[in-house]
Amino acid sequence: MTKVAVWDVPLRLFHWLLAAAVAALLVTAEVGGNYMTWHGRLGLFVLGLLVFRLLWGFVGSSYARFAQFFPTPNRVRAYLKGEWRGLGHNPIGALSVFGLLGVLTLQVATGLVANDDIGFQGPLYPLLDSRWSELFTGIHHLLAELLQFLLALHVAAIVFYLRIKRINLVRPMLTGDKEVDEANSAHSQARQGGGILAAVVVVTIALAVVWVIGSGHVVQWFAPPPPSIAPPPAW
Amino acid sequence: MKTKLALAFAATLCTATAFADAGKGVNDSIKFRQSGYAFMAWNMGKIKAQLEKPETFNKDQVLAAANVIAAVANSGMGALYAPGTETGKGWEPTRAKPELFKEKEEVGKLAGNFRAAADNLAKAAAGGEQGAVKAAWGEVGKTCKACHDKYREKE
Repeated sequence: MTKVAVWDVPLRLFHWLLAAAVAALLVTAEVGGNYMTWHGRLGLFVLGLLVFRLLWGFVGSSYARFAQFFPTPNRVRAYLKGEWRGLGHNPIGALSVFGLLGVLTLQVATGLVANDDIGFQGPLYPLLDSRWSELFTGIHHLLAELLQFLLALHVAAIVFYLRIKRINLVRPMLTGDKEVDEANSAHSQARQGGGILAAVVVVTIALAVVWVIGSGHVVQWFAPPPPSIAPPPAW
Repeated sequence: MKTKLALAFAATLCTATAFADAGKGVNDSIKFRQSGYAFMAWNMGKIKAQLEKPETFNKDQVLAAANVIAAVANSGMGALYAPGTETGKGWEPTRAKPELFKEKEEVGKLAGNFRAAADNLAKAAAGGEQGAVKAAWGEVGKTCKACHDKYREKE
């Protein structure tokens, strides 16, 4: 058995930071009160993480690229027939990756315009009529339930692999390496590409997106102009 | 024959008016309670905005907003949840869950917590110390949420 490098550092960082952030988001939403401020900050952090992952799926190392593991019907069929070979995400695992990323993206998008009727408003709340905020807040709450279900499924799958299939998927996501019988066979290539330069560029873009949205600049650019520059009445 | 007809007509008119009045009472109750919560939300927002800019913290504006919240919280809003107001439309269809009208003890407890938190916020605002105001504001938010989580339909 030899070790083959599969998951790159940025990807692993992304995964564990996302896990921690989502856990904290669920807790802060549950507690409420002043913790909603942290909920908002963490939401923006997840926005940055998702922008990173989206871009890294195109310029990251081999097994991080979406094209490498996208679950096409052929690949899924092959996997179900027991004919799939590979080191990265298998087609079913890939479905869960895209499912979770998709739900999280919708969650961030709806969260940006959501409100809690008490004191919290997403950073893009001023851009829409408040009735849209009501609608998107409702979706945000519904997706939170779906997300918790998907996360439970995700953890259950990892436990299933550990206990039943006797394959540890946690260690590779920590160390980056998977154990294979035959290194560098057709289906056990070590990862390639996705170097420091690509990482720096992608992280910079992610930071820029978060800054633009979180700082209120987007609102300033797109919000309808105020009715007049004169101050409101003082009575 | 004509008298009977006239009497029948008058009776129908009276009944119809009575129902119309009952509908109006429900409509007003729901309108007033929705208004109360929305007005408090506006004032919660004002305090939050002040807390986010400590350099320009205006103690008097914060106190004014906190006093509004305490006043509305202490205005006896329970009266707006009389039987018959479980369904209906105020400014919008009510989102009060049927449980709100059945679990009277629990609702009373949450309402009491909310009033106490609102009174506490007004006190902290009078004191003018930002840390105390922030903590009290957070506690009010939690009491709002406690009732929403249990007794208000999600959007």
